[in-house]
Amino acid sequence: MSHVVGIDLGTTNSLVAYVHDGVPQVIRDGSGDALVPSIVSIGDDGTIFVGREAQRRLLTAPSRTVYSVKRFMGRGMDDVREDASLLPFTISGEAGGVVRIGIGGHQFAPPEISAFVLRELKRRAEDHFRDQGDFDFEVERAVITVPAYFNDAQRTATRDAGKLAGLEVLRIVNEPTAASLAYGLDKRNRGTIAVYDLGGGTFDISILKVEDGVFQVLATNGDTRLGGDDIDALLTEQVLREGDERSSPAEVVQAIRKAVIQAKVDLSTSDLAEIRVESMAGLPAGYRRRLTRADFEGLIRPLVERTLDPCRQALSDAGLSPRDIDEVVLVGGSTRIPLVRRLVEELFGRTPHSDLNPDEVVALGAAVQADILVSGRREMLLLDVTPLSLGIETMGGVMSKIILRNSTIPASGREMFTTFAENQTAVDVHVLQGERELATDCRSLARFRLRGIPPMPAGMPRIEVRFQIDANGILSVGARELRTSVEQTIEVKPSYGLTDQEVERMLIESFEHAEADIEARLLIEARNEAEAVVHATEKALRRPDFEQLAAETFDAGERQRIEASLVEATRAIAGGDRERIHQATESLNQATRHLAEVVMNRSVREALAGKHVEDV
Amino acid sequence: MTPDPIPLRAPSMLECRNCGAGAPLDEHFCGQCDRILALGRHGDYFSFLGLPRRLGLDAGDLERRFRELSRKFHPDYFYNATPAERLASLERSSYLNDAYRTLRNPAARIEHLLAIEGFQASKTDQSAAKVPPALLQEVFTLNEELDEIRELRQSGGDVAQLRGRLEAARLPIERKREEHERRIADLSARWDDLANAPTADRTGVLEGLRELLFERKYIDNLLATIAREAAEVQP
Repeated sequence: MSHVVGIDLGTTNSLVAYVHDGVPQVIRDGSGDALVPSIVSIGDDGTIFVGREAQRRLLTAPSRTVYSVKRFMGRGMDDVREDASLLPFTISGEAGGVVRIGIGGHQFAPPEISAFVLRELKRRAEDHFRDQGDFDFEVERAVITVPAYFNDAQRTATRDAGKLAGLEVLRIVNEPTAASLAYGLDKRNRGTIAVYDLGGGTFDISILKVEDGVFQVLATNGDTRLGGDDIDALLTEQVLREGDERSSPAEVVQAIRKAVIQAKVDLSTSDLAEIRVESMAGLPAGYRRRLTRADFEGLIRPLVERTLDPCRQALSDAGLSPRDIDEVVLVGGSTRIPLVRRLVEELFGRTPHSDLNPDEVVALGAAVQADILVSGRREMLLLDVTPLSLGIETMGGVMSKIILRNSTIPASGREMFTTFAENQTAVDVHVLQGERELATDCRSLARFRLRGIPPMPAGMPRIEVRFQIDANGILSVGARELRTSVEQTIEVKPSYGLTDQEVERMLIESFEHAEADIEARLLIEARNEAEAVVHATEKALRRPDFEQLAAETFDAGERQRIEASLVEATRAIAGGDRERIHQATESLNQATRHLAEVVMNRSVREALAGKHVEDV
Repeated sequence: MTPDPIPLRAPSMLECRNCGAGAPLDEHFCGQCDRILALGRHGDYFSFLGLPRRLGLDAGDLERRFRELSRKFHPDYFYNATPAERLASLERSSYLNDAYRTLRNPAARIEHLLAIEGFQASKTDQSAAKVPPALLQEVFTLNEELDEIRELRQSGGDVAQLRGRLEAARLPIERKREEHERRIADLSARWDDLANAPTADRTGVLEGLRELLFERKYIDNLLATIAREAAEVQP
């Protein structure tokens, strides 16, 4: 049985975890680092870099590097225009269509970028299992988390990303709910808890009731465009304004961004920090500025206060007041900011919990959920809700709700339709998500056309459209004409998502890309191997006793053969033909085999010279 | 304590799609092969949860039943099952969630009871604009008062005074709502007592509940209108 993992696909960082002997644990790299920065960069030769290496490239090749792609998942061009100002990569797309991200001359849909991050996590987990000596180390199935307030399009985009990364997505789980699962492990307690999750790009609040191992979400709310990113942007813009560096090259913007993030982190533990950028092209004087925690808090307070209304709304939807909450749990890196903790404490009137690492707790919970799904263990059960109401556009452009927000999922609902014209055989349906009265103020999820309605007088057909939200919070739609029981065919055109055909095509391309990835890796390996042989040969040729050695031991033509092979190997390395590199390496190996033996013998003799036999 | 009502309908059966055995309508699992049953024909929210058709409900008991059944059919536990069982689990879970949400809310509970007892939404309910006859007097008085307050507000009337008048207008409506709450509670209790009574008596109770619910909805709308106006007279 291949392994299953839980993945926290974050705006800033991503992690992978699994359950080992009943205990969830995150998978770290060799240096003990669990976080993979959710950053993807594309090299000049098409090589894809993910994580720390891509993060480094943000400073050297910003226009070829993408970060915070989660903000673009399932979104249209109209949603993201204002986000684009400071970003080093380009975003494009038709109005009312999926956003495309341009880096290094390539165009990617956001799920494709996320898939690179997921593939890296998959590889990290597989390396881990292989290192543990597991024969069956492959990871093919995963639970992936999303912000609780993600809409249907954003959830679907995340599932598509998993598919593109070669993962079977067992379940999409809400981040705060996953966190509560990780918290609930050690404490078999019951009560009402609030999970406040402020991450890199999104904010969620979930109110849960825990009893008999059932984690029931009562209400959830949030803001999918509010997080640490916004604090970074605020500080970055301030620095740019001060320095009048509005037209700064992307390298400078990224250097400033890195510096303000460092200052932000420092201010969580000290009262004073320095924003410091060394002198660089485009910013010859560098930049230094001291920032007190008080100033920092004054600057970010309006942002942090934006989290309070969703908290109040969630409480009110759950029919609770702050004093009904038994525990408040903090999740997400941005909850390390003292001001955040203070405001949360004021709102709920109690000190929030943060026993578990707020960066890791979501991945741990995802691993627990993955384990529940494959093992059939029944001690715990998550009952989540749909964050936003779901409905259809009716006469006059009004949103008619069919499934209300905070309904426990899975949930279903139905609506009756009829026809307006004689013998009408098709009806258009516009599916919406949101809380507003007018269709234009809600999120357009999809447009459906019901076909195959039997010809009847106007108003006669009774068409039942059935909505089903599954345990992932993802909607599917079915329809039936009740008088004739004819199942209607439905053509789905997602408003801000990829069609199945597009996902299929990307999957094929990603396999081709994966081949290119493997090819790139193999090329690097071949070059490294060739360089090692070239290096050893050159070292031998530089020996002070080489001429004497050659004169004493070389065959006729041996020296020429070595020199010619060396030239060919150097040329092959400079080129990009892996096969040629292999051949050149092989012939250089053969040409120098005798030389290597001679050098080895001499070295041994020298080492032994002057030593007594008994010392050897 | 009255005995649970005896179902009026003829007992119909479900058929297990796995082994073909018959099962009573409100069973969730096949008695013969233990597989989860597809949610084909089914009873109502009460019977699904194993509850009698009564309006008095113990919230704790309802919640326990919900949790217990969730543990039995949540899709989490059918991940490795056949597609048919997975679909059955999805449908049963959805139905359970809908049932719990409906029965937990007293007004929704009455509406569901009306629906399964064959009472379509109130005749007067069809045109929501129409004022329930029992409320005509209150509505006319309130509308006049609201018009005056609106005029005064637009010509810059004294805020404290306007708020006082709004509050005074709100009180009788609020009292009306309380009165309706009491009458709904009384009729609900009466329904529960009438489990074995003649159909005509039961029908009368349900008709009364239907009208009360409709009136209360109208009262809630009036209160919302007053609240909106109150928000406008903020200084």
